[in-house]
Amino acid sequence: MKIVDRFTLWFLGVTLLIIPINSYITYNSIKKEIDKAAVERLKHVNARAAEQLARGEAVGEFMQGCRIKATPSDSTMPADFFLITDRDVKHDPDLEDYDRKITVASWHQISGVSYKIISGDYVTRSEQILAGLRVSIFWKLIILIGLVVLTARLASRLVLAPFYNTLKKLQHFNLRSRKKLEFKPTRTKEFNELNCFVGKMTDKAVDDYISLKEFSENASHELQTPLAIIRSKLELMSEYNIEGEEAVLISDMQNAVDKLTRINKSLVLLARLENNEYESQETLNFSRFVRESVNTFCDLVTLKGLTMEYRIEENVDVKLHAALVDILLNNLVGNAIRHNYPGGHISVELTAGKLVISNTGHEPQEPVEEMFRRFRKGAGCQNSVGIGLSIVKQICDMNGFTINYRFQAGHHIITVDFPPASVSSKLLQNDARSLHEKTQL
Amino acid sequence: MKVLLIEDNVELASSISAFLAREGYICEISYNIRDAQDKLISFQYDCVLLDIMLPDGNGLEILRFMRQEKLQSSILILSAKNSLDDKIIGLEEGADDYLTKPFHMPELNARLRAIYRRKTLNGSNIIAFNEITLNIDTFEAWVNGTQLDMTRKEFDLLMYFMVNRNRVLSRQSIAAHLWGDYTDNLSNFDFVYQHVKNIRKKISAASGTDYIGTVYGLGYKFHTSRQ
Repeated sequence: MKIVDRFTLWFLGVTLLIIPINSYITYNSIKKEIDKAAVERLKHVNARAAEQLARGEAVGEFMQGCRIKATPSDSTMPADFFLITDRDVKHDPDLEDYDRKITVASWHQISGVSYKIISGDYVTRSEQILAGLRVSIFWKLIILIGLVVLTARLASRLVLAPFYNTLKKLQHFNLRSRKKLEFKPTRTKEFNELNCFVGKMTDKAVDDYISLKEFSENASHELQTPLAIIRSKLELMSEYNIEGEEAVLISDMQNAVDKLTRINKSLVLLARLENNEYESQETLNFSRFVRESVNTFCDLVTLKGLTMEYRIEENVDVKLHAALVDILLNNLVGNAIRHNYPGGHISVELTAGKLVISNTGHEPQEPVEEMFRRFRKGAGCQNSVGIGLSIVKQICDMNGFTINYRFQAGHHIITVDFPPASVSSKLLQNDARSLHEKTQL
Repeated sequence: MKVLLIEDNVELASSISAFLAREGYICEISYNIRDAQDKLISFQYDCVLLDIMLPDGNGLEILRFMRQEKLQSSILILSAKNSLDDKIIGLEEGADDYLTKPFHMPELNARLRAIYRRKTLNGSNIIAFNEITLNIDTFEAWVNGTQLDMTRKEFDLLMYFMVNRNRVLSRQSIAAHLWGDYTDNLSNFDFVYQHVKNIRKKISAASGTDYIGTVYGLGYKFHTSRQ
């Protein structure tokens, strides 16, 4: 729910609560005022009647539109005493309309005779007042809700503009672009605080990201030379007449250096992929590369006693950096050979827009989602670094390919879907765009 | 063959020059660009091994300098920076090959030989030792006049052995040579063993001498002294 809707609802709730209370107060005060006016008028009428009587004139049945009656009375009351009664009467049975009648009685001493003067009048009944109020409340509500609904969006667009601006900037914010966020100052205190806060946080994130990147890049590069030294010295060492246990020691060291080298190279490659250093502008003939890769691995397939079949459609063009094609294919086909058993089978199928590699193998013991994470390896692959598939995944992500794995009927099946060549390869940007559209006002 | 090694790391430079010396190369070392330029002008080298990151500048400057001075030496770039740009620029600026650190010494040797063959020996495409002859253009191997039925990888491996005679070739080095840098999933050295076994079988079948032997724990070696 949007902020503006929440505020509108809150406002309407308060309005709905206030209106009955308000009408009750209005109703009461109107009724009171009407009664008061009627009583005042009747008092005045009584006084006039008393004057008339004092002048010796008789008092008629009506005076000033009010029914009046003056009778001599036995009792005497003080001059300023009035008896006020009100009752609902059925004035006219034919009209079947009820009315409210107010009567005022007063006592006067006129020429030594005590008179009781009673006057009465019909006043507006409470139901009638309520009916009037209802109509006015109804119109009031309609106008209020209409105006609130109509203007709330406009107002929120004006008032919340800096907020939405910040939101939009945050959605477009990408650590990899390493650009800091800049906000326009606003007159709203909270938004200024928010911007200040968000600005500080993103600046920190960017700084951290840059230093982390620099660290991992430097570390990787600086490691290369010492690794080269160790490797070269070990190789020189093995040229001497080394025998027995010493040879095994050297061999173990060589293995470790080799593994370290591979980890390092893979991490550097991943970092480069994340830096978008391998962005491709051109399409290349993927069919040719797949065929080459399949041929490269022919020997290994035979050595491991596997059979391989492939169906490669001609001239499948894919937008991918040439340096990454081999890495992608070698990792996928290599895995298909490695996670296989003697006498197993591999099939490679390339059609326009899709590469499917499936191979026989044992059921994976780890959750499938874990497969593409770094340094995850299946059972029985102690020699592997466990980074191949995460490189493959990264390559796919960066180029807008979707990669899927499933295990089905004793086969590991990896599917890579290529987007149509016309579609931009920037997945990230697409995401940002759709997010942005969702938050438009 | 006379080689100029331009490498700022003393340890690595000494390893490389020791290895090259054993191969019978004459190897001189420069630790920075200025010294390298002096040496390049004063002496003639068959090949230059060039590190990209040097204390007084980028190794690519040497490439430009050599082009300006019209120096004919072959150039092999050794870089710690596994960057594609460096590779492309390097090759465009006239380098003959590119090797990323850390590399295997036999690999360096094989690359050097290949460059040397291409440039100095006017593209001779034959590598021969006693009864074994390799044609590196047609990927044909002959033993005693019989052509061996070899796969491409087996041929590459035999050539690697022939170029690095009497050298211990570790399984890691062979795997890297055959399947490249990103062979994470091929580190299973059974494949290397199988390939070596096949080559030996094929050479023996053509009544060739079994020059290739196992070095316990370390790898394999092409023994030129075997009869």
